[in-house]
Amino acid sequence: MVNNIENAVKLLLHKYEVKANVELNLLPGWSFLNKELNDNDMPLLTWRLNRRFIELKKIVSDEVVENVSMLRFCSLGDPNIWSLEALMYREFDLCEFITGSRIAYIHATLTNGLAGNIIVKLENGTIGSVEIGVQAPAGKPLIERHEIIARRGVASDIVVDTQVPQSSIYTFTENGDMEYKDVDNELFGMDEFQVEWVRAAFQHQKDPTQSENLIKQHDHLSRLVESALKSNSNKLKVKVA
Amino acid sequence: MKPIKIAILSLTHGHTRKYFQTLNDNPGFEWVAVSAESKKVQEIFYKYGYDVPCYMSDEEMFEKHPDIEAVVMASGNSRHLEQFRMCAERGIHILSMKIPTFDMNEYDEMIKLVEESGIICQVELEMHYNPVVNRMKKLFSENQLGVVSGINATNITLSPVWAFPWQGVPEESYGKRVPLNSNNTRFRGGALCDHPHIFDMIRWLTKSEFDYIFAEVGPNIREELEVEDIILVNGKMKNGVSFLLDPSWSRLEERLEVPGPGWEVFPKRMEVNFNISGEKGVMLADCFGPNVYHNGAPNDRYTVQYTYFDEWIGMMDEFIHCVRENNTPKINLMWHKKTIEAMNACYESIETGQPVFL
Repeated sequence: MVNNIENAVKLLLHKYEVKANVELNLLPGWSFLNKELNDNDMPLLTWRLNRRFIELKKIVSDEVVENVSMLRFCSLGDPNIWSLEALMYREFDLCEFITGSRIAYIHATLTNGLAGNIIVKLENGTIGSVEIGVQAPAGKPLIERHEIIARRGVASDIVVDTQVPQSSIYTFTENGDMEYKDVDNELFGMDEFQVEWVRAAFQHQKDPTQSENLIKQHDHLSRLVESALKSNSNKLKVKVA
Repeated sequence: MKPIKIAILSLTHGHTRKYFQTLNDNPGFEWVAVSAESKKVQEIFYKYGYDVPCYMSDEEMFEKHPDIEAVVMASGNSRHLEQFRMCAERGIHILSMKIPTFDMNEYDEMIKLVEESGIICQVELEMHYNPVVNRMKKLFSENQLGVVSGINATNITLSPVWAFPWQGVPEESYGKRVPLNSNNTRFRGGALCDHPHIFDMIRWLTKSEFDYIFAEVGPNIREELEVEDIILVNGKMKNGVSFLLDPSWSRLEERLEVPGPGWEVFPKRMEVNFNISGEKGVMLADCFGPNVYHNGAPNDRYTVQYTYFDEWIGMMDEFIHCVRENNTPKINLMWHKKTIEAMNACYESIETGQPVFL
């Protein structure tokens, strides 16, 4: 873990009196793509601790929107942080996390490791589009949209009639335009991505029994990413093994 | 650090349920009991499933749990003084709701009770522990806007009176029945009494006090209420900053007895926004955004589903620190007194039709 993440996790462990296994290598799962996991490697599904996705999942599981039919996900990132594979890993997991169903089929069209458009079909029949790209300028937070279309209702992390994700503060000053999005006062100063990583690492230390499921899901997501790459190469819809 | 044995009084304030998870999760607390003002309130509490005994009177609770060190005073405003006396007598620290009282004689008695008994009293102004407010404070401390000239702040919500009826009863929310003015059939004690945050925050951000204040009420959007629900406030701080505040209940609601999904009619049930102008530019802040959105159950209306409410964590961390280290809380009775005086000045302005100088 990078220092500021590790320090923030230590702070929470101390505050909530949680005993930690300091040997663990707690990283977002996509960091371990194409690597063999050793005993201390723990692929975290950090985005599952982001309150946006917790609430979207709750909206589905509590049947606030009922009978989900289609997902429309988009994630465009900074190439210094993200790769197409990493974005696929994250977005595929979000498809499954939010709907509670597994991806069964993938048809992917990818362009030179820079952008891609994917259609997935889940075991429960829901279909989903996953738009990914790594051509956003350096330093730009992920440009995202997660929309869920159901027979009863639509849910989204983008407000109606806008194209871009919102921030909580905007300043328009002689130094230029700035925006800020602070989501966690206990971890104030960290961005959304860092916050979800810290929360996921802390949760794992609190409840290490989730290790087996995390590793299983990592293996599954790695296969999904491979399937997408294969689909793109072979120009075929692929059934996930 | 030894956990603080804490209880909640009354359970009738709209913020009550916000404390449950924090008292349960924070190892700095041992949540030992609650008292309820009615059987109905007790039943609602038990539905949350916490293994905490619920008594039907404060006295009974204190008798059964003489080791209680602190309370969250989650009651209607009119009960606060009586409960302050009870706690001061027993040396019990107080986390007070956002309006200790509007009666300045009572307020002074509360200050005296706290000072003489040596207890800690922190006032619940949870916005200070909101991450967006934290960022605003940081940007201010970095002088990003230069000299500030104008602030517009909203604290607009739906009305909680159907779930928390005392908030619509003048004697219980304002402390007594005072007509808004001679031409008015409504009384003090409505939306203004529910929304001290922006009055407090403007003092904090500008590091200045109110110079003069003017307020005007509109026709109620809920005709059956006998307290105000639409109100605008403007004026100037002593350092010259002009301000416009909107503390209205201007978002309509379904009249639920227990807050829950489908409460809101307007998509966003609560908003605390700031527009701030300074010599170097402008800042826009939404303290409760962005979020996620849906138009599903129960009413198929477009709805904002909030994604973060962690203010109570930081606020209660500070309370623990103050109790155990005997420190003065950031929002203490003395600091908060000028906020209450400004809110009273709004009512005086409505009565006289002119600005009130503080």
